[in-house]
Amino acid sequence: MHISDGVLPVSVSLGGYAVSAALAAWSARRTTSDQLPKVAVVTSAFFVASLVHIPLGPTSAHLLLPGLAGALLGPVAFVAIGLGLLLQCLLFQFGGLTALGANALMMGLPAIACGWLFQALKGNTHLRHAAAGAAAGAMGTAMAAIFLAGLLAAGGEDFFGVAKIAMAAHVPVIFIEGAVSALTIGFLFRVKPELLEKGLVTSKKEFHG
Amino acid sequence: MAETIHHIPFWYLPLLVILPIAALWAGVAGLRKAARRKTAPNRDPDWSVPPLADEKQGRSFLHKWDVRCKIVTIVVFSFVVASLGHLAAALAAVALSLSVAVMIKVPAARLMLRLLALAGFLGMLLVVMPFTVPAHPGDTLVMFGGVEWLTLNFRGLLLAATIAARAVAIAMLMEPLLSTAPLPVTLHGLCRLGVPEMAAQMVLLSNRYVHVFSHEARRMSAGMQLRGFRKRTDTATLRTVANFLGMLFVRSFERTERVFDAMRARGYQGRFPEPVKLRLRASDLLICLAWLAAAAALMVWDRIIL
Repeated sequence: MHISDGVLPVSVSLGGYAVSAALAAWSARRTTSDQLPKVAVVTSAFFVASLVHIPLGPTSAHLLLPGLAGALLGPVAFVAIGLGLLLQCLLFQFGGLTALGANALMMGLPAIACGWLFQALKGNTHLRHAAAGAAAGAMGTAMAAIFLAGLLAAGGEDFFGVAKIAMAAHVPVIFIEGAVSALTIGFLFRVKPELLEKGLVTSKKEFHG
Repeated sequence: MAETIHHIPFWYLPLLVILPIAALWAGVAGLRKAARRKTAPNRDPDWSVPPLADEKQGRSFLHKWDVRCKIVTIVVFSFVVASLGHLAAALAAVALSLSVAVMIKVPAARLMLRLLALAGFLGMLLVVMPFTVPAHPGDTLVMFGGVEWLTLNFRGLLLAATIAARAVAIAMLMEPLLSTAPLPVTLHGLCRLGVPEMAAQMVLLSNRYVHVFSHEARRMSAGMQLRGFRKRTDTATLRTVANFLGMLFVRSFERTERVFDAMRARGYQGRFPEPVKLRLRASDLLICLAWLAAAAALMVWDRIIL
């Protein structure tokens, strides 16, 4: 779930912009600038993937994928997520112009953390990769939910109730996200294991010479 | 001053709370369906052409306005709207946004789609906040049949409505901001305002490939349906969806290599050519000033008079 315009105090949304701009600059510096067009193309794939809905009893949940993005992209995931949110703001009707910075932090910081977690946990076997994928997927969504609650609660005690309910609504998504991430990572391990090496973009530097 | 508590019988709850929510929900669902039908994918000629620029829409003042002025004005105005504290001021901002949208003849369906995208989040706020806002002195409470935890606080309703009005006012400006110039021109304007050029290029590229990959995803899911796959709440669905995502990633990662090679082969050296030469005229600044004056007036009204 993304925060819409008009919810956050202006100081929080401006602060979110400042911090996420700094983080995006840091994240972009982790890769050579001529690799960034590739990040842009990969971002579109994640964007399309996040539109997939998974049925959940009578309703359905769509995937957030911060964990998977972190696992596959490494630190540059922050740039990718910021870009994805900007695209959503431009194309897919959701406003969010003023909340863009805060939303990028909410999704991007978990992605960076999960990237580290995934690289630390994954071993050499299929099973360990899948387990690390599950941890990254579940952690990513859980952290995003906590950030969401924290940002909402920044509006004062009037927002505490909303923050609690928003966090509770994420609990089923955490499980789904963990399961899907584990299975996707398992699939990639069998089909194209080099994608899981160390963030795709930096690992292929020698390819273009 | 203590809070005012109105006690009303419990059976009013469905009448006053559940019925309006259900009506709202049904209305939103119906509108969403109608809007989807209007923009059904198979009736669209080609989504890979960015839908943001519509040359046919006539040349209003926003089309002719210098793109840098437009971006600065609308962003500043959005932040001013986000800081409004009173419902009346926020509603005035909605009226202003709506009048701009009407002036440049934004198609109603597009505007409706943007508002419907907000409906989920704002609906949650409108339902949750009246019941969870802590009671302050001077609040008006409605208690249903003496059930302690089911107390409707009018301050919460007012707060949620103010937030909703602010969100609607800002979201309605996105169409005027984006559909009155082709996306490359808007991004060029952003670059001239200090956004790194690489960021703008990434937006252009991923805007293009979102459409390519959604085509791909649609093709893959058509194949899956043909082989008898139906989404259910079970682990088989999760596994299939995970394989679907994995395949999407594999194909996209392979495609990045091909795209990048093709760009290099055509002489890409880290930048695209300039789409337009921007020239600032006096009239551009005049519109900018007028709009920002309106924003300042709103703020003064909100902070001092109300």
